This record gives sequence, C-alpha cells and structure tokens, in this order.
Amino acid sequence: MKVKIKHWHAVATWHWKTEGQADELCGICRVPFDGTCPNCKYPGDGCPLILGNGCSHNFHLHCILKWLEQNNSKGLCPMCRQVFTAKVIDGVGSKEELAELQELIDQHKTERETAGAEFEYAEEE
Amino acid sequence: MSHRFARRLLKEHQAFERANLPGLQLLPGSDITKYLVSMSVANELYSGQKFMLLISIGTEYPVEPPLVKFVTENECTVPLHPHVYSNGHICLNVLGKDWTPACGVESVVLSVQSMLSTNTLAERPPDDARYVRHAPRDPKNGRFVYHDDTV
Repeated sequence: MKVKIKHWHAVATWHWKTEGQADELCGICRVPFDGTCPNCKYPGDGCPLILGNGCSHNFHLHCILKWLEQNNSKGLCPMCRQVFTAKVIDGVGSKEELAELQELIDQHKTERETAGAEFEYAEEE
Repeated sequence: MSHRFARRLLKEHQAFERANLPGLQLLPGSDITKYLVSMSVANELYSGQKFMLLISIGTEYPVEPPLVKFVTENECTVPLHPHVYSNGHICLNVLGKDWTPACGVESVVLSVQSMLSTNTLAERPPDDARYVRHAPRDPKNGRFVYHDDTV
C-alpha cells in the first residue's frame, strides 16, 4: 500500500527541567512551574524558572524577585530558610531581571555580613 | 476583586474548607481574602470556650504575612495567653519576622491553635496595658519583642 502524506500537524509539549522535585508547584504562587507567575500571560522563556543553588527549591523568577525585594525575606529561601542562591537555566530570562535577582541576593549578603560584624563588635565590648 | 495571587488564594480557601480541621470552622462572611474562623482548643484552660480568629489577606500577600488577630464578636472573648494581648493581637514569630510565602492561612491558624493548646498560664503579657494603649491597628506594625520561647 502506498501512502501519500498530504499535510501534517506537529504537536509538542515542553517541561522545565528540574532535579526531580516531587511537588512541581512554585512555593510562592502555588502555580505549577510550567504555568506562569500571576503577572505573566504566557509560560516559557518569558517567565523562567529559577533553580535554588544551595537548596533544591525552585521558583518562578518573578515570584522569587517579589520575595527577595522584601527586607523581611533576609535573602532566605521561603521553603527551607537557607540563604537563597540562584542557578539560572542557560539562555532564558531577560538580562535586566536576572541582574536584578543577583543584585538582591548580593544586597542581602552584604546586609547579613554587616549585621554579623556589628554583632561581634557588640560582643567584644 | 482581583488579587495578584488570586489563584493561590482560591486554592488555599478551597483546601481550608475541605480540610475540616478539628476545632476549626470557617464562619459565614468569609471569602478568599478574609477568613473568620471559629476556634476551640483541646486544653482545660479553654474548655467550653470558643474564640474567633480573623485572618485578613492584604494586597502584598503571600510576600507579606496576613493580618491575624482575635476578634470579640458573638460573645467570643480573647483567650488568656502570655502572648495574646487583650486587644486580640498575637505575638507570634511566623506572623511577623519569620513569615515566609511557604506559610499559608492553614499553617498560621494551626500555629495559633497549637500555641493555645500547649499553654499552661492563663494570663496576659506583662506589658499588656502599655502595648494596648499604643498598639497600631495592624499588629504587623507592632514592635514585638519575641522574648520568650518557652511558653
């Protein structure tokens, strides 16, 4: 039998590659990682996932930004309260937003160090 | 009403209703940004008493904690506890400086209930009179001193 394909529709799915975390919800907005943060319309590169580097907790970039903008966050991971450091997935996310993320992480680090130094100083006295 | 995290609020509300937690009941007048919870506690100190907890979710939730306090409606009183002020404000770390977005309405309500159920002292905080006189309307703005981890 001879078959002639006249036309075809390609269908694909995608999925953020995370390191086998059981619950695939963003801990901040409680929406699946493959969905968007509440501010975005379209999932994917425009609303990227940020992986925890020190811990295994992942978040939408826009969600973790909102959290780290808070002074109260002290730069800690919302899930495990360890210092949050980010592992960025290659090639996704806007440069400005990723720079902002790094800036917030560094800012919290400086604040922790200053607070730590003051504490030691107070103890010496 | 459109909240930035509306989907999360909806999920939390549904989960809370479904969970049917012991001693806790969601009262009419509640919606996804305002919970009125009737609370009874398995502790002899509070036997036969019902308290009413108000959880009010602001625009910055869950990045900021919700407002949580005891209210005195329908003959409900404010429980006697060394960390609960007579105006209903609660001194509890997860409602302030130790809040994280991983907490939620359910975890906060359970924290308050557990704080009451392990209590052995039916008294007000030592600085109650002073605090209540100057207390802000939103307890989050209060400058609590978290001085006592044993109670």
